[in-house]
Amino acid sequence: MIQIIQVLILGLALGGVYALMSSGMTLIFGVMRIVNLAHAAFIIMAAYISFWLFKVWRVDPIVSMAVTMPVMFLVGVLYYRVLFASRADNPRFTDITVLVTFASALVIEGVLSYLFTGIYRSTSPVYATRPFLIGPFFVPQSQVYATLISIALIVSLWLFLQYTRVGNAIRATMQNRNSAQVVGVNVALVSMLSFGIGLAMAGAAGSLLSFIFTFFPSKHVAWIGMLMSLVVLGGMGSLMGAMLSSFLLAVIASYVSFYWGPTWAPITFYLALFLILLFRPQGLLGKKMDG
Amino acid sequence: MGTLVVENIVAGYGSGPNILRGLSLTIEAGKTYCIIGPNGAGKSTLVKVIAGLLKPREGRIMYKGEPINGLRADQVLQRGICYVPSDRSLFPDMTVKENLRMGGYILRNSSLVEKRIEQIFIQFPILKEKRSQMAKTLSGGQQQLTSIARAMVLKPELIMLDEPSLGLAPKVVQQIFGTIAILRDQGLTILLVEQNARKGLENADQGVVLDLGMNSFERPAVEVLHDPRIQELYLGKRSRPLQAEAAQ
Ligand SMILES: Nc1ncnc2c1ncn2[C@@H]1O[C@H](COP(=O)(O)OP(=O)(O)O)[C@@H](O)[C@H]1O
Ligand SMILES: [Mg+2]
Repeated sequence: MIQIIQVLILGLALGGVYALMSSGMTLIFGVMRIVNLAHAAFIIMAAYISFWLFKVWRVDPIVSMAVTMPVMFLVGVLYYRVLFASRADNPRFTDITVLVTFASALVIEGVLSYLFTGIYRSTSPVYATRPFLIGPFFVPQSQVYATLISIALIVSLWLFLQYTRVGNAIRATMQNRNSAQVVGVNVALVSMLSFGIGLAMAGAAGSLLSFIFTFFPSKHVAWIGMLMSLVVLGGMGSLMGAMLSSFLLAVIASYVSFYWGPTWAPITFYLALFLILLFRPQGLLGKKMDG
Repeated sequence: MGTLVVENIVAGYGSGPNILRGLSLTIEAGKTYCIIGPNGAGKSTLVKVIAGLLKPREGRIMYKGEPINGLRADQVLQRGICYVPSDRSLFPDMTVKENLRMGGYILRNSSLVEKRIEQIFIQFPILKEKRSQMAKTLSGGQQQLTSIARAMVLKPELIMLDEPSLGLAPKVVQQIFGTIAILRDQGLTILLVEQNARKGLENADQGVVLDLGMNSFERPAVEVLHDPRIQELYLGKRSRPLQAEAAQ
């Protein structure tokens, strides 16, 4: 019994980070119908920024979010501006984005390999190796901090979308791009901003996972598959859906890993992706899309 | 006064052909215009161009003596020209009230927007009743009403309605024309695009026939309604498919 609860705790402690990783990707899809296959690569790029700040100046990776978030926001704005802004009216826009972002992921991987080599990296603040002990249970401090910060960021994003003028414009654009234009929303600007916000979330995720996982430039290949399944399971474009599916799959993967061994854990995500596409392609909280 | 003058407008989509090919039209303040014409004539294209959602390739649009072609959609709204699209597309996962708030998006003054929404609720009690319901759960007629009300939040001087009766049951069509009559009484300038030519013309001062994106033909609505050529083309024609349907 204690073990079952212990495994649950470890799963939940990772769920928030998965949710943060997928939140930006689902936002980017929801607003612009961009399938961002470079999302995991951008997350790793941010992890390297944190790694570098930690190595050179001993900047705590949590503190370095103050750098990675704005930097990745700007990267997102520029990336969108250069590669997507002029194509937004193309009827095959979403197809184009798959190819462009996939190519971008490979370019980012190449540049990171050149700059940082392929060696496994991670940051090592003191809390990276310490657990919290609660009665008979333990949970790594790093994961507790990472998940709590992730949840705080996602809740802030949700409040922003719900209660601010710009947030409402983003939601309106997600729900009906034409109508948003009709009421005077500058959808081109909203799209650029949303891409920036999506990558700022990726930046935060990169800083946080720099001390809970090891990473290397080609690690994004493994993560993008996981992110795709989280985003699709939650319902593409649904923030709450991504949050729900992240916790759900993190916990399931945690049990799979405990009973069958860690090598089987990734299967959880692919199996979930497969099943959801088969039985509920719109995802848990997604809407059926026509066209 | 608030006259809208469309001068030799040429417009089309992307790199496609010209849909409007040198169209001119004058809309006088305070009158209701009904634009009729066959499917694909460019009626929707014309209102999109005026609304600033599609840039014309050539020509000018003057409002109150100032050019408004080339302005962004939000700038056109700012001048008091609103557009209600034909698919009555609301924000499906927002409540009726949130949809109305989005109508006042360009105002940047939430207390003013709230005040306007309260006025709209007095005018259309059904919307007050449904205010917390998600837009996607409304009936077709309620959606159309919300869509019109969303434009009214800006208190426009000129409102363009693209086929407001499309796909609605006859009784609901009646209600929508009732709503349009209210807008007329308030002194708004109305540009109404209608498939239902008879109903549209009956509720308008002027009738405009648009064909092939070329120059339109404009007459008082009653004259258009009783013009034998128009009856043949747009009024008579409509009953034929219906009869065919009935025969099946
Ligand atoms: N978004 C669009 N992209 C390309 N062509 C379009 C678009 N919208 C309309 N058209 C074309 O423009 C022509 C006129 O359409 P429209 O203005 O909607 O006509 P109407 O409203 O009079 O039925 C049609 O041939 C239609 O196929
Ligand atoms: Mg039309």
